[in-house]
Amino acid sequence: MKQLLIIALCLLLTPLVAAVGCDLNDPDGDIRRLFPESTGYKTSYRSIQREGGRALLNTIENRLGDRFSGLYETIDNPYTIYDVFSGTRKIGVIHGVNQKGRTGGIQIFLALDNNGIIKKLYLQRISSRNNRLYRAESFTNQFIGLKLEDFDRWNVARATGTGKVAAIRNPVANDPDFAAIMRGIKKNLILMKHFSQ
Amino acid sequence: MISITKIASKSLLRKRLRSILTLLGIAISSWVLISLLGFNQGYERSLDDDIDNLGFQVLLTAKGCPYEAATLMLQGGAGLRYMPDTVIDSLRSMPEVQNLTPMLMQAVFDPMVGENGTVVAYSGVDPATFPKMKSYLQFEKGTWFSDPTATEAVIGYEAAELEQREVGDLILVPEKNVELTIVGILKRSGTQDDGTIFVPYLALQSIFEVQGKLTSVGIQVGKDVDVTAFEDKLYELPDVQVVSMAQVKSTISNLVGTARVMVMSIALIAILIAMVGVVNTILMSVFERYQEIGIMKSMGATAGHIFRLIWTETVVLCLIGGLLGAAMAYGLAAVTESLIRYLLPYSPKGSLVYIDGMLMLKSIGIIIGIGVVSGLYPAWRAARIKPIEAIKKSEGEL
Amino acid sequence: MTIISAEAIRKTYQRGTEQIHAVDSVDLSIEQGDFLSIVGASGSGKTSLLHILGCLDNPSGGRLQVDNQEVFANSKAMPEKKLTGLRSRIFGYIFQSFYLIPTLTVKENILLPYAFKTQKPDPDAIHTVAKQMGLEHRLSHLPGELSGGEMQRVAIARAIVTDPKVILADEPTGNLDSRRSAEIAEILYSLNQDYGKTIVLVTHNPELATRARRVIELKDGKIV
Ligand SMILES: Nc1ncnc2c1ncn2[C@@H]1O[C@H](COP(=O)(O)OP(=O)(O)OP(=O)(O)O)[C@@H](O)[C@H]1O
Ligand SMILES: [Mg+2]
Repeated sequence: MKQLLIIALCLLLTPLVAAVGCDLNDPDGDIRRLFPESTGYKTSYRSIQREGGRALLNTIENRLGDRFSGLYETIDNPYTIYDVFSGTRKIGVIHGVNQKGRTGGIQIFLALDNNGIIKKLYLQRISSRNNRLYRAESFTNQFIGLKLEDFDRWNVARATGTGKVAAIRNPVANDPDFAAIMRGIKKNLILMKHFSQ
Repeated sequence: MISITKIASKSLLRKRLRSILTLLGIAISSWVLISLLGFNQGYERSLDDDIDNLGFQVLLTAKGCPYEAATLMLQGGAGLRYMPDTVIDSLRSMPEVQNLTPMLMQAVFDPMVGENGTVVAYSGVDPATFPKMKSYLQFEKGTWFSDPTATEAVIGYEAAELEQREVGDLILVPEKNVELTIVGILKRSGTQDDGTIFVPYLALQSIFEVQGKLTSVGIQVGKDVDVTAFEDKLYELPDVQVVSMAQVKSTISNLVGTARVMVMSIALIAILIAMVGVVNTILMSVFERYQEIGIMKSMGATAGHIFRLIWTETVVLCLIGGLLGAAMAYGLAAVTESLIRYLLPYSPKGSLVYIDGMLMLKSIGIIIGIGVVSGLYPAWRAARIKPIEAIKKSEGEL
Repeated sequence: MTIISAEAIRKTYQRGTEQIHAVDSVDLSIEQGDFLSIVGASGSGKTSLLHILGCLDNPSGGRLQVDNQEVFANSKAMPEKKLTGLRSRIFGYIFQSFYLIPTLTVKENILLPYAFKTQKPDPDAIHTVAKQMGLEHRLSHLPGELSGGEMQRVAIARAIVTDPKVILADEPTGNLDSRRSAEIAEILYSLNQDYGKTIVLVTHNPELATRARRVIELKDGKIV
């Protein structure tokens, strides 16, 4: 009997392990925090595969200025999108991506308004010993008001930029996680541009 | 020229579709049978291999210490018990001990992993002795630690992939605020090691402030040592628990035993169904050939001849079906394997389905045996046909 | 020399409470090389008698000797095993329906009796009988590809390939048209005339019967 139970469990659990999406750990609380005026939200799932396949992946990589690689950047990786509402009016969207950091994956969530402008940056997960510095408002607030066009001026390969993004300071001098976060944000914004169309 | 075997094989071609369907039935049940027998054999072997891969036959742990990673995860390291590392010296003095490797397990809650955080376990090992015992471990990138006390880590394939870790990356030990530098990533081994983070045990002792303590010692005993007697001797050491791999193996075997009984019953049912199919097919063809059989008897065929004819048909059918099934079992062993792996609670990493010539021969023997038995009744029925009845019956019908 | 000798042969069937005397006290002696034709109305007992003479069925009473062996006497029959041997040695049977095995070729059908014999066929035998029956070009065909007449000729070839002493034929032309019937009649005649085979032929066909040396007529199981 116990055997059957284990077999049944194996069958049930296997599909869950396969997908490596990026979800909010506590969506109700997190969304209320990111959009205080929100009254509700709707969750949907997108993937590059379904939205445009290889061609879309190329477009995205070109704009990012880097290739997609690794477990979190496969063509069929699922992305969770939270459309946030106040009453019946959509007031914005929350979307997170996984980004390889120096100490494991970093989970980068952006709260965007309807025009694609960053309202908040939320690093749900960052395992670095410097995680406090990266999660501090003194760092995250620098991103408020920026949009994809600003990040077009950020070179992810060289980790340098011009314009507004150039002003953002690395809280830990020479720490490579900064570049990872910048890349993740740019990736997040590009994906959102295509997924919101 | 003309023989009973020839008549028998040709008569199988009469109702082609029926013969093919029956054949398929036999082939599928032989496939199931052979695969399951192969599994029976393969599972045992790879379990042995797996246990050999542990590198040691006896694991000495502190009394009450969880020795499985799973238990460790569940208890969050809280249940850890230690033994002093002086035990190593006592062990070294024992003549039965060929090699030994001290180990220290540590676990800490990492709030950053998963939805609500999870317990991350670190396996402290001795760079001087551990790699030698686990000689099957191979590196994808990098190598073992540079120094027995270095704050470095070697991680399993999955531990690396899931976090996209690379050699040179860091692992932050939560609470302790210590960063481990990844110096090696292991190749996928299909074992528990894939998800493990290995750290030099001396380094782990100082990070977790458990200097001079161990959670377990892996022991390789000499070739001629009586393990059971040695186990008893080990119990003379204070506060230890002895886990012998023979014991682990029998536990797993028992666990899987139930599942094996289940699959063997399925095989049995499949065979019974195929058998009924064979009997039905042959019986039908006997009735269809009532007159032919009668006429054969009138031209000198004895009951024995007719019995042999019908029986040969059955055996030929089973032989071809059995061979087909054997080919299927052999060709699809990989498929069967992944299916079984998917269904079993614990599967060793070696090939689970082991099909060799001997097993094939044995199985085909079984299938033919089944054919022999299934052929008895139809053959007996056919042998009893009286020529006069058969002839009169049809002449009357005309 | 007498090959079949029947004395007071009876065959009774039970149909409900009624007893049917299909063959009633028949005395018959058949010499080697004889060509005997049995005629009579339908239900007169021709087939029943032929089956008894050919050792395919046991009589209910009387005495039967075949090739100097006691087949039936004092209400006792020869054991089945011996009977089988006797049948395959002495007799070749031809029936109204041909009973060819559809999955075997003409050649294999003709040689079928040898599947049950320890003795191997004479390599020339097949060609001899095939030629005799006009089947040389049909040997590799399947029965389904033959005409009715050809099928009956295959059946005859099968009956004679083992070189039996006696050929028993029960309405061999019953399923054939008049032209084919004449052909078969010719063959039987030649087997008797040229090869010295003893032939016992049951037929409704008067033309066929006249080819025989001797004709007996049955009526209610009795020779008239
Ligand atoms: N097995 C049997 N059981 C009962 N009665 C039978 C059986 N076989 C034959 N009879 C009867 O015996 C009689 C003789 O039959 P038989 O077949 O010998 O006749 P026949 O002369 O060959 O007829 P036909 O010319 O129609 O072939 C018939 O009345 C028939 O109904
Ligand atoms: Mg008749």
